[in-house]
Amino acid sequence: MKKFTRRTAIAAALGMASAVVIGAQPAPAAVELKMVAANYADMQPFWDGLAAKFAAANPGITVKVDVVSWETIDDKVKTLIATGQTPDVVNKGDYSAAAADGLLYRADEMVSKATLDDIVPTFLNNSKYNGVAYAVPDLASARALFYNKDILAKAGIKKLPKTWAELEATLKTIKKKVPGVYPYALPLGPEEAQAEFAIWAGGNGGVMFKNGKWVLNSKQNVETMAFLKKLTDQKLTQPNPAKCDRTACAQTLFASGKAAFINGSVFLPGWLKDNGGAGINLGSGSFVAAPGKKPITLGVQDYFTAYKKNGHQEEIKKWMDFIFKPDNYADFLKAAGGFIPATKSAGKNAAKDPALAPFIKLLPSAIFYPGDQASWPAVKGAIQQQVGTALSNPKKVMDALQAKAEAAAKA
Amino acid sequence: MQTTQFKKGRLGALPWVGPATLIILVMVVWPAFEMIRTSFQKISSTGLSNGWNGIQNYLTLKANPDLPGVLTRTLIWVLAVVFFTMLLSLPIAQVLNSQFPGRKVVRWAVIIPWAASVVMTATSWKWMLDAFYGIFNVIGLKLNLLKEPRDWLGTPTESCFWLIVVAVFVSIPFTSFVVLAGLATVPSDILEAATVDGASAWQRYKLIILPLLRPSLLVAAVINLINVFNSFPIIWVMTTGGPGYLTDTTTTLAYKISFRDQDIGQSAAMASVNFLIILIFIGIFLRVSKWSEKQ
Repeated sequence: MKKFTRRTAIAAALGMASAVVIGAQPAPAAVELKMVAANYADMQPFWDGLAAKFAAANPGITVKVDVVSWETIDDKVKTLIATGQTPDVVNKGDYSAAAADGLLYRADEMVSKATLDDIVPTFLNNSKYNGVAYAVPDLASARALFYNKDILAKAGIKKLPKTWAELEATLKTIKKKVPGVYPYALPLGPEEAQAEFAIWAGGNGGVMFKNGKWVLNSKQNVETMAFLKKLTDQKLTQPNPAKCDRTACAQTLFASGKAAFINGSVFLPGWLKDNGGAGINLGSGSFVAAPGKKPITLGVQDYFTAYKKNGHQEEIKKWMDFIFKPDNYADFLKAAGGFIPATKSAGKNAAKDPALAPFIKLLPSAIFYPGDQASWPAVKGAIQQQVGTALSNPKKVMDALQAKAEAAAKA
Repeated sequence: MQTTQFKKGRLGALPWVGPATLIILVMVVWPAFEMIRTSFQKISSTGLSNGWNGIQNYLTLKANPDLPGVLTRTLIWVLAVVFFTMLLSLPIAQVLNSQFPGRKVVRWAVIIPWAASVVMTATSWKWMLDAFYGIFNVIGLKLNLLKEPRDWLGTPTESCFWLIVVAVFVSIPFTSFVVLAGLATVPSDILEAATVDGASAWQRYKLIILPLLRPSLLVAAVINLINVFNSFPIIWVMTTGGPGYLTDTTTTLAYKISFRDQDIGQSAAMASVNFLIILIFIGIFLRVSKWSEKQ
């Protein structure tokens, strides 16, 4: 009896183990495309709906879309690749490192010629690695200087500032006349510090990458951080910008009427409505520039990329073309919430949209991130973490960032 | 006959030991092996392996300009948290051990920070200390202790202070209950004898209870040492190691090197060094528990 029990137990244990192994791998009957997409707004219902429509129209192909938050999507995709579970299609904010590693289909391999020809040339140009497009832009955004009209009225400000000096004077007036309000919300915390930095530096003629080299510690960039330090030291911004994230800190302050000016993206008005800032009397204008420099805006675009690993090129092409069908693409833009379209056909409609038109007008003066550099993701990460601390010592921190960027470019 | 029975006995244990062994192999040994392997490879920022890299990742880590500060902070963090946890747990355990009405409720109350998720606790503290919406500022302003709202997590030094406070707060339940268990082993007849001999309460505590508590104190200290060294959520939730790297420990730095600086190889090297330090701690722990068994 005793023996019997033991054997049964062993058999049961082995049986369970083998059941787990067998259960893990059912043979796939059809091709299933795996897609990982960033969450602009509540995107999962949109993607699930589109995938169902696609599966109905294309027997034998199913698409499973995993919607992931912006905070974790880079980590998630990296982990999937490192563990051999490479997805087929990814929708997120960069492509260059994957292109450099030879993981991606070319843009002309992932969509049909008709779709590719419809993409706005500027955006397609920003999707190249060594002169070849390896990604298809999905949408873009531009930024503007937003302000709280009520606060400016209370402070008696009638004219928007155009230069650094005018801005400083304006912020001082607000501080004096409207106590309890932070004149400028400056988010240099890790979430989006690279955007805030790029805009301010751009207004001083500073860039991150020039003539084949990272130039984070250029004279213009260090001057820019010194100017921001000056604003912060005079308490013209909220305290401790280095730990102020865009959403949880800066935009939230602005939504609660506690900040007068903020750098905002096209989607800021929509975000304010959903996050308790519906009552904010919103105005927008162009960014300020240093003396003798031209004002700029920051254009940011995101991408679809397709990975070669699973060899699903034909299926990917069908799916991508399906996404870019005008009706589906319009639904995508709607679900994402108020972005600038990446196609010429959708752009024509967007130009008539009063919410988007001002941004589309700003686009010709837009600077973009050096997203075509393979080291951009690493440099972006370094800037996000550290550029805020440059407010304590601009030169030293920008030098440290430059050293990191150079090391990343070599790796 | 004897031997066959012995063999059968060994094999017979397999169904009971097997699952645990399997779990340890899959969940502990394999990931550790992969981590160490990764630390000797050249991994691109997309997560792709480009072959062996020798000890280059370790050299890069050694040259990391932020490492010395982070190592110093890790040391301060571990020592400060463990020291203050032990210091506060001794009197708390004493209170929990004494007879008073409502003792059960107090014991439950002490356990709660342990039962609650650390992420939840850290998030609550973060918002309590918040510059714009925090309850600390509300109370301070209403009682006129503060003239204007302040950012309690504003400077790195202040942040480190509060991180340590929260870590002590979540470590106290476990530690005080280990000490409480130790107190239960102190024989009451010895204490009575001491009282009869005219020993004061402090003398009884210092000369009898404390020496008898030594084994539990050592075990509590070493387990806390390991826990605190590995602690990720408190720092991550409250400061993400920032601004810059000024509140990072080696644990959060390993994560940031991988997922912010996109250098998986160097991150694996950092994690392997952490692993080595933990192994040393565990070695000490095993020594200590053997030593206390002998006692």
